Amino acid sequence: MSIDSGIKWRNPLFVWGGKRDVEELPTIPFRSHKEVWERTRRSTTKLNPVGRLRYYYKWPGHGATMWNRLRYWPTRRRVLRVRGEYNPKTLRAEKTIVDKRPIWWVLGLLALAIAPLFTPGDLQNTLLTAGATFGIYAAISLCWMLIMGTAGVFSLATYAVVGTAAFVTALLAVKFALPWWLLPPIGALVGLVFGGIIALPATRLDGFYYALLTLGLNELCRVYFVTSKEFGSANGGLYGARTYIPEEWSQLGQLLLAYYACFGLMLLALLLYRFVNGRRLGRILRMAPEKREAFAEATGVNFRQARVWVFLVSSAALGFIGGFYTSNFGGVAFSIFNFDTVLLGLAMLVIGGVGRAEGAVVGTLIVVFFDQVLNTWGPARFMIIGLIMLLVVLYLRNGLFGIKAQFRAWRDKKKSERRSTRAEKGGELLPEEATETEDKSVIYQRRHDKMTRDHLKTLVSPEIIEEHRHSLNGQHSEALERLLIYFRTRPQVEKYAIMAVERFEGYRIVALSGHRGVAPRVVEDRIYATPDEACHGVFMRRVQDLLES
Amino acid sequence: MDIWFIVSNTIVLACIYGTLAIGISITWSSLGLLNLAYGFIFAFAGYGAWLFAQHVSTSGPAVLAAGILAGALGGVVICAVGFIPIHDKPNFTIRGLIATLAINLIGTQCLLWWFGPRSKSLPEIFGNWSVSLPGVVFTADKIGNVVTSVLLLAVVLRWMQSSRRGLEIRAMMMNPHAASIVGIGVRRTSFYVMGITGGLAGLAAVLLSQTYYISPFGGLMPMIKGVSIALCGGLGSVRGAVIAAIVLGLNEALTSISIGGRYVLITQFVVIIVILLVRPRGIAGLLDKAREA
Repeated sequence: MSIDSGIKWRNPLFVWGGKRDVEELPTIPFRSHKEVWERTRRSTTKLNPVGRLRYYYKWPGHGATMWNRLRYWPTRRRVLRVRGEYNPKTLRAEKTIVDKRPIWWVLGLLALAIAPLFTPGDLQNTLLTAGATFGIYAAISLCWMLIMGTAGVFSLATYAVVGTAAFVTALLAVKFALPWWLLPPIGALVGLVFGGIIALPATRLDGFYYALLTLGLNELCRVYFVTSKEFGSANGGLYGARTYIPEEWSQLGQLLLAYYACFGLMLLALLLYRFVNGRRLGRILRMAPEKREAFAEATGVNFRQARVWVFLVSSAALGFIGGFYTSNFGGVAFSIFNFDTVLLGLAMLVIGGVGRAEGAVVGTLIVVFFDQVLNTWGPARFMIIGLIMLLVVLYLRNGLFGIKAQFRAWRDKKKSERRSTRAEKGGELLPEEATETEDKSVIYQRRHDKMTRDHLKTLVSPEIIEEHRHSLNGQHSEALERLLIYFRTRPQVEKYAIMAVERFEGYRIVALSGHRGVAPRVVEDRIYATPDEACHGVFMRRVQDLLES
Repeated sequence: MDIWFIVSNTIVLACIYGTLAIGISITWSSLGLLNLAYGFIFAFAGYGAWLFAQHVSTSGPAVLAAGILAGALGGVVICAVGFIPIHDKPNFTIRGLIATLAINLIGTQCLLWWFGPRSKSLPEIFGNWSVSLPGVVFTADKIGNVVTSVLLLAVVLRWMQSSRRGLEIRAMMMNPHAASIVGIGVRRTSFYVMGITGGLAGLAAVLLSQTYYISPFGGLMPMIKGVSIALCGGLGSVRGAVIAAIVLGLNEALTSISIGGRYVLITQFVVIIVILLVRPRGIAGLLDKAREA
């Protein structure tokens, strides 16, 4: 940039003969402010969506229906969690169903209840038997889920409790010819005693030590029952107890009765799950998750006692199921103590997701489908179940029902990665800062300010500075006028001002504090002789600040 | 005579189960992985040795080596499938446990499908001689089992004490995080560890097959015994495992003599529960500090 660029600015007011007016002054070529605008707007960065969208269907609702809630009698519990709100844009009253799980539960249970009507004729036998097995195993899985999910005790002795209760009740039923309805309560008693015994080490041991111990206990039960003579070691199990299924019914009637009885057992287990997990005990234990027990203890939560309670309650329930097992099948086989049975049971929990009732039920459904319906496949079906279990464990954090949360976490991670790649663009406000700023106009104001400064930087040149030195007041060229207007509109804080050291003799530049009662700050030692020189000095300082920003 | 027979039997079994227990212990303390797929490795190594004996050679040491190699291979496979993908994921300990259980399920069912349910027997590795002392006869397989397992265990422990890789494994056992900071690769070391512990399981499989037969589910009982011993001795402690093996072996011998063989497992678990109630981290385990993984 040189003084003599050949372009001249002609002062339109020169003809009026103002003092110190010059007709023509050298200046710079015109630069449009739109260049900066276009350059800022043009972007080569790939723009990815970074916001958060959750789609909920908005149900209409107004006036009285807006706050109308369906509740379980006689409690104040709501059947559905519905949020009433006013749409901020349209101001229309709306309802949002926040938690749709009850709807899915009702639909799923209804489907299970009417499923026998729709079974194809040639598969009816297999499917109804599998359905009954599913009911029993789902109940076992739910009780196990209480132990593993709610109480957080990694016990593998669940099937040992069920099997022991089943064998003891079968033995009693065979010996004393007990009626079928006595077996589940006796089983519950047996389960309670067994649970009490194995709860003893659970208070001292944690995590895997307990898992390994219970694994051994299961094997102990298997060996004991298989080798003992009373429990029928010769014929692979103990049969001969009376069942609740009447002999004189048709085969279909018997199958249907077994199906609905097992379905009812599952409903009971669901109720138990709800009552234990959703109430006081569950709340207490949710307070004390793994690795935060010390904190819970410090806040006065007796989680150990709660754990033992949950353990005992579920053990009694497991015993009940064991008794029911005997009265359903008329006896029990040793295969219930097999290691593979434990593994399949664990697969039921793991596939669905530990800590949720729906996980237990759906996981059981999947495993029972492969195990019972496809039972012509031989060992291949166990391999498939094992493979599903392995894949679920390797890739999912918490089973099938944890997919949603895991996917959301992954999406949020990706979004924040994209946000951080966008930080280079604009650069006025960091993206995280921008999302958290209450007043969004600040974002656009800063962006505009930056573009203005970028444009003004291109206008600063020796010609303009020379022009300003020559004529502080009066008509200026377009470029200089733009600079001056920008400088004038700066806020009061740190704005430059001129202070008279001695009238008509000495002036110096100060910076205003911007606060009442706080004196201006001296910015340089130099004393200017005239106000005009000081004025130009202020201009030069501002130009320097502009170029440095 | 009867007492000596039981005692010698117990010593042999304690040696074999102790070998497995030390493998489980080392895996847990260095990788934080509770490998419950040992049952599968055990059966896999047994079948590997059996295939070797069928098709290649029936000489004792060769079959033993084949079993150890097959076991090491099984361990490496489990490491690649069950440890490498999840060792840095959240909730690793539980997921690792379940993953190894799943591998166990798949693997044993594969063996069942491939080899059928009939059990197989290996040729006699140590020959058919015996040593008679006054009142007791030591057969070849008993002496061979004890000598081989103690010898190989000593070699492995010596290797862990003196070699560079052993130093890496011991560093991982002390503090896995710090070990990874000073440049010990978790993944690479995990392959060594799983290879070696798998080899130990293979050794146990071949030695045990002198008494029992090889079947797809035959690995379960040795694994549970090994786990019990490792648990009782304190997970992560070799010395504790040795003490626990002796204690449980003694218990087994005494129970067999006094009450009867049927109650061995019951008394064993009573002993384990009592020990764990007194010392929740096992005999030689640190009282307060579990491995934070």
